[in-house]
Amino acid sequence: MCDKAMESNRAVIVGIIRSNHPMTRDVFLMTVTVPHGFESAMPGQFVMVRVRGREFPFLPRPFSIHSLYREGEASTMEILYQVVGDGTRLLSSLGSGDELTILGPLGKGFDTRYDRRTVALIAGGIGIAPLHFLAQYYNKKNVHGEEKPRLVCFMGARTADGLIGRERMEQLCDAVMVSTDDGREGYCGMVTDCFVDNSKTMDTADLILYCCGPYEMMKRVALMAGDYSVPCQVSMEARMACGIGACLGCSVKMKSDGRPVRYGRVCKDGPVFDSKMIDW
Amino acid sequence: MKVKIGSLEIKNPVMTASGTFGYGEEFEPYVDLDRLGAVVVKGLSLEPRPGNEPPRIMETPAGMLNAVGLENIGVKAFVADKLPYLRWHSVAVIANIFGETLDEYVRIAEHLNGVAGVDALEINISCPNVKKGGIAFGAHPGDAAEVTRCVKAATDLPVIVKLTPNVTDIAEIALSVEGAGADALSLINTIRGMSVDVEKRVPHLKNITGGLSGPAIKPVALRMVWDVARVASVPVIGVGGITTASDALEFLIAGATAVQIGTANFINPRATLDVLEGIERYLVEREIGDVNDLIGTLAI
Repeated sequence: MCDKAMESNRAVIVGIIRSNHPMTRDVFLMTVTVPHGFESAMPGQFVMVRVRGREFPFLPRPFSIHSLYREGEASTMEILYQVVGDGTRLLSSLGSGDELTILGPLGKGFDTRYDRRTVALIAGGIGIAPLHFLAQYYNKKNVHGEEKPRLVCFMGARTADGLIGRERMEQLCDAVMVSTDDGREGYCGMVTDCFVDNSKTMDTADLILYCCGPYEMMKRVALMAGDYSVPCQVSMEARMACGIGACLGCSVKMKSDGRPVRYGRVCKDGPVFDSKMIDW
Repeated sequence: MKVKIGSLEIKNPVMTASGTFGYGEEFEPYVDLDRLGAVVVKGLSLEPRPGNEPPRIMETPAGMLNAVGLENIGVKAFVADKLPYLRWHSVAVIANIFGETLDEYVRIAEHLNGVAGVDALEINISCPNVKKGGIAFGAHPGDAAEVTRCVKAATDLPVIVKLTPNVTDIAEIALSVEGAGADALSLINTIRGMSVDVEKRVPHLKNITGGLSGPAIKPVALRMVWDVARVASVPVIGVGGITTASDALEFLIAGATAVQIGTANFINPRATLDVLEGIERYLVEREIGDVNDLIGTLAI
């Protein structure tokens, strides 16, 4: 199995699915063996995935890396994904031994050079996908050569079963606050409001926010971060074709401060942006 | 494998299609540019353009719609910032240009005339996604000829005219621009299309309509190349849904002197080289020493 993965060249990596399990009704966790060399991926980076040998769906699909670890001669990558259309539906039907063509790791990941004592990860639903990798990263090595920052994770979902990977985050973080729209689990309401309530006890001068979730949620977090003058990084999502900056399909409007309109490419200039750069 | 596009000789018939290969450097990790026949860069306007509001793309059966709106950095920034990278390579560089007025086409052509590293111009008179110019020039034989004549007068470079399929008779337009001095013709640009989100009852593209590309349009492109190659006396460059070497061979046999690989670059960044290697294998297996001996050999 690894031999095949090792054959891959830079352009088209062949990944071999090891497992592909439903976590909820529509969220799946896929484990893929990828060639050696892939472990240089940084949290927040993504991969473009197609089912090997299949012409449908036509375009590859972007997925953020959920976790990555070295295993012998190859690496193991996890992709956490929600079934939202025909492409992800096909992906969810695959099983152990099926092959993927993978392009990556791609894009700019989270900037972890901030020297802050508290790191808040704010996830809405499937937005936990890249933040889990970031939490692993903070645990794996002391990125600042100093004391490990305090990791606090805010996870929000409509209902309790949407709090995907909560137990894993509890192992990686110093605290995990959950919120659900119906209040059956944790805080009743939006994850952004849960964060506001808890932020009162945080020293905002020593805080950094990393956020991934629905657009409106990230927008609220970005506005709060601006109000508190807290650095905030958001992981954006967009339909894209190439993943390498050529198709100009995944545009997001950047703040232009009176200058002509300017679009950034989610795939190349992102997917992680400083929240202040986006024209929300 | 050498072919001639007007006075420009390129090392093989495989090029990139404008708008699908950036300015070349995006593909650095995947493609050795020196192996390609030519790189056709993202369409250039006189001034930078931000492009259309997103969403700009939508997948379709065997293809995609795009309404990028010709986002580009402008001709001056291209020469200053992007051309130096391409000049490090031996690949021919074809600058795709477009304007909203005749005057803009002329001024871009003048700006690029004599610039070292630019080997030819491809005039886009056929983009479906801008409101002014573009399509208007490409849809009328007289206008298409006029823009060709004006650009020819403004440059010493070979001029390729890229034709739109969104017309009743593409051969008529082809002959008109050939008569105006075009050194070669490239066809086809994207076919106008649209896609609707039935849940929200809104178009998938902010621009409402977009240009369809990918394998879905290949048979249409091939038919148009055949139609034009039969009547034109200048070289025809085939473009439209070419994804594999077999696709490219179909175009060459139907009369195309060269091919451009477009949307396939998005699903496989190495598509250009895969096509090139496949053509080479085909020629070797059939003991065809010169690719020119294959061009236009369709038996009817």
